[in-house]
Amino acid sequence: MMSPEVLAYPFLFIAIFFESFILVTLLSKPAREARGRAAADTSDASALPSVAVIVPCWNEAATVAATCESLLALKYPREKLKIILVDDGSTDATPEAMARFAEHSQVSIIRKENGGKHTALNAGIAATRAEIVGCLDADSFVEPDALREMVPCFANARVGAVTAAMSVHRPKNVLEHMQNAEYIFGITFRHAIASVNGLYVTPGPFSFYRREVIDTLGGFRYGHQTEDMEMALRIQQAGYTIENAPHARVYTKAPRSILALLKQRTRWTSGFLRNILGEYRGLIGARRHGALGLLVLPTALVAIGSGILIFSLTLFMLVRNATAAFETYAGVPLSYTLSLREGAGWSHFPASFYLILGIAVLFVSLSLITVGKRISRTPGNLALGLISYTFLYGLIVPLWLLRATTDVSLGKRRNWRE
Amino acid sequence: MSLAARNALIALGITIALVGTVALTVKYLNRSLIAELGAIEDQLSIDMLSLETQFSLLEAAPCDSVASSATLTSELENMGSRLSYAEEQLGSDNPQVIRLKDTYSLLEIRDYLITARLADACGTKPPVTVLYFYSNAGDCADCDKAGYALSYLRDTYPALRVYSFDYNLDLGALKTLIAVNDVRDSLPAFVINGKRVYGFSSLSDFEKQFPKGALSTSTPKL
Repeated sequence: MMSPEVLAYPFLFIAIFFESFILVTLLSKPAREARGRAAADTSDASALPSVAVIVPCWNEAATVAATCESLLALKYPREKLKIILVDDGSTDATPEAMARFAEHSQVSIIRKENGGKHTALNAGIAATRAEIVGCLDADSFVEPDALREMVPCFANARVGAVTAAMSVHRPKNVLEHMQNAEYIFGITFRHAIASVNGLYVTPGPFSFYRREVIDTLGGFRYGHQTEDMEMALRIQQAGYTIENAPHARVYTKAPRSILALLKQRTRWTSGFLRNILGEYRGLIGARRHGALGLLVLPTALVAIGSGILIFSLTLFMLVRNATAAFETYAGVPLSYTLSLREGAGWSHFPASFYLILGIAVLFVSLSLITVGKRISRTPGNLALGLISYTFLYGLIVPLWLLRATTDVSLGKRRNWRE
Repeated sequence: MSLAARNALIALGITIALVGTVALTVKYLNRSLIAELGAIEDQLSIDMLSLETQFSLLEAAPCDSVASSATLTSELENMGSRLSYAEEQLGSDNPQVIRLKDTYSLLEIRDYLITARLADACGTKPPVTVLYFYSNAGDCADCDKAGYALSYLRDTYPALRVYSFDYNLDLGALKTLIAVNDVRDSLPAFVINGKRVYGFSSLSDFEKQFPKGALSTSTPKL
C-alpha cells in the first residue's frame, strides 16, 4: 500500500522551490540595490514630497498616543509631514487620548461615525492633498528613520505603493516571540518578492501610497475585512509596482493569546481567499503580472492547501502510530517501554524522505528569518522566536487555515474581532 | 528572459539538486542497512558452525558447554531484533531478508534442541521455552502485541527462552517443527514447555499459561 506521506511530497517540493526562489532573488541585483538604497536627505525640505500619515482608530485608547508620538519623532521636515488621527466612532477613551495632540501643528483629528477601517482611511485621505499618503495602525510604532527610508522608493514613477519592514513590538510571551519570527520572515519575503514586483499586501502598519494612484484607482474598499490587501491587489491589477524599504522598521502589537491570533489570521486568510478567488481571480496565472501572477499568488493558494493537508497527514500518522503503540504496549509495564534497551546501530535511524525534506524546509525558513533580521537591522534576541517558530508555528497555522477555508466554503462572514 | 523567470529556473535547479541529494542519502542509508544484513548473514553462518561444534562437544563431554550455549542465546536475541528491523524496513518479501530468516530459524531450532539435550544429558531442570509462531502477512492482528509482550518477558526473566518463527516461512525444518508440535494455523500460536496456546489478549492472561514459578527473576539452577 502507498504510504500516505507520499501525498506531501509535491507540497514539500514546492516549499523548497519557493524558498530557493526567495534566496536566489535576495542575491539578485534589484534586491542588492534596494538594500543599498540611501535614505532621503532631509537637509533640503523643498526637494521632498509632502507626506500625510493616517492613523485609523477604533477603541485604541491604550496605544494611540504612543503611536502618534512615534510619528512625531520621524526625521522628516515638519512642514512636509502631517499626521491625521481618525477616530472611527470609538466607545472608549480614544477621543481623550487624541485630544492631547489637538493643538499640535502637525496633527489633525477627525471624528466620525463608526464605519469600518476603510472608511476611516478614506476620511483621512479626503482631508489631505499630500503627495504621499500613508497609514499606520494605532497599535504600531515607527523608528525615526523609517519614513526617510521609504520616500526614495517613490523615485520610480511606476511605484504605486511602498511597504516597510515589520516586526513585533516588545514580544513577551511565547506566542508573541513566535509571531516576531514569522514577521521577520515576512521582512525577507517582502524584500525579495518586491524586487520582482510580487507583493499583494500593503500592511496597515506603515504602508505608503502615491496620491495620484489613489486618485486614479479610488480610495480604500471594504475588501472582505482586508482593505490593505484589496488595495494592493488593485494597484497590481492596474499595472503599478509595489516596493519595499527593508530598512524602514515598524513595530506592531501582536495578539497575545491563541484565540486572538486565530481570529486575526482567520480574517486575513479568508480575506485573501475571497479577494483572490473573487474580484482578483484574473491575476492568478496572468503572464502580464509576471512573478505575482505566475508564482506568488499560485504558491500562496497552494500553501493554504498544503498547510491543511500536511497537518492532517501528520495528525493522521501520529494518531495511527499512537493507537498502534498503545495497543502493542498495553499491559506491559511502562518502565519497560520507556527504558533504553540496546539499540541496533546508527543505520537504524529512520531515514525517511519526508522527514529529511521537512527538516530542509524548516532549516531554510529559520535561515531566512535570520537573514530578515540582519537585512532590516531589527534589534532584539531572536532565539526564543526561532524556537517557538520551530515547535509551535506548524501546530497553530493549520487551525486558522481550516477555520478560514471552512468560513469561505460555507459563506460564513464574521465580525472584525470575531 | 525576465529576472523572475531566470530566478525561478535557478531555484528549480537548486530544488532538484537538493531533493536528489536527499533521495541519494536515503538510498545510501538503506544500502548501509543491506550491508549490515550481510554482516548478520556472516554472523549467522559462524553461529551455525558454532552450534555444530557444540553438538559434537556435547557428545564428547555433556554438561561442559552450558555457558557457551547461554552466550549464543543472547546473541541470537540481538540478531533477532536486528533482523526484525531489517524486515520492517526492506519488506518481508525481500529475498535477502527471507534467506536470513531461513538461517535464523534453523539456528533457533538447533538452539532449542541443544538446550533440551543439555538438560537431558546433565539431568537438570530444563529452562522454560516458548516457541512463538507469528505471521506478518496481515492475518495476525495480535502478533505485534504478542511479540512485544514476549520481548518484555524475555528481558525480565533471563531464564526464559523464546524462539520466534514466521509461520509462513517456506522452510522444511520449520514445517517439521510445526508438524511435530501439532501447531494449528491460528496465530499467534505458542508452545510453552510443550503446551499449545492460541491467541493473545493481554500480558496478564498470557502469564497464566506459564508453569507455576516459571516466571521468576532468579536464574534457575541448571
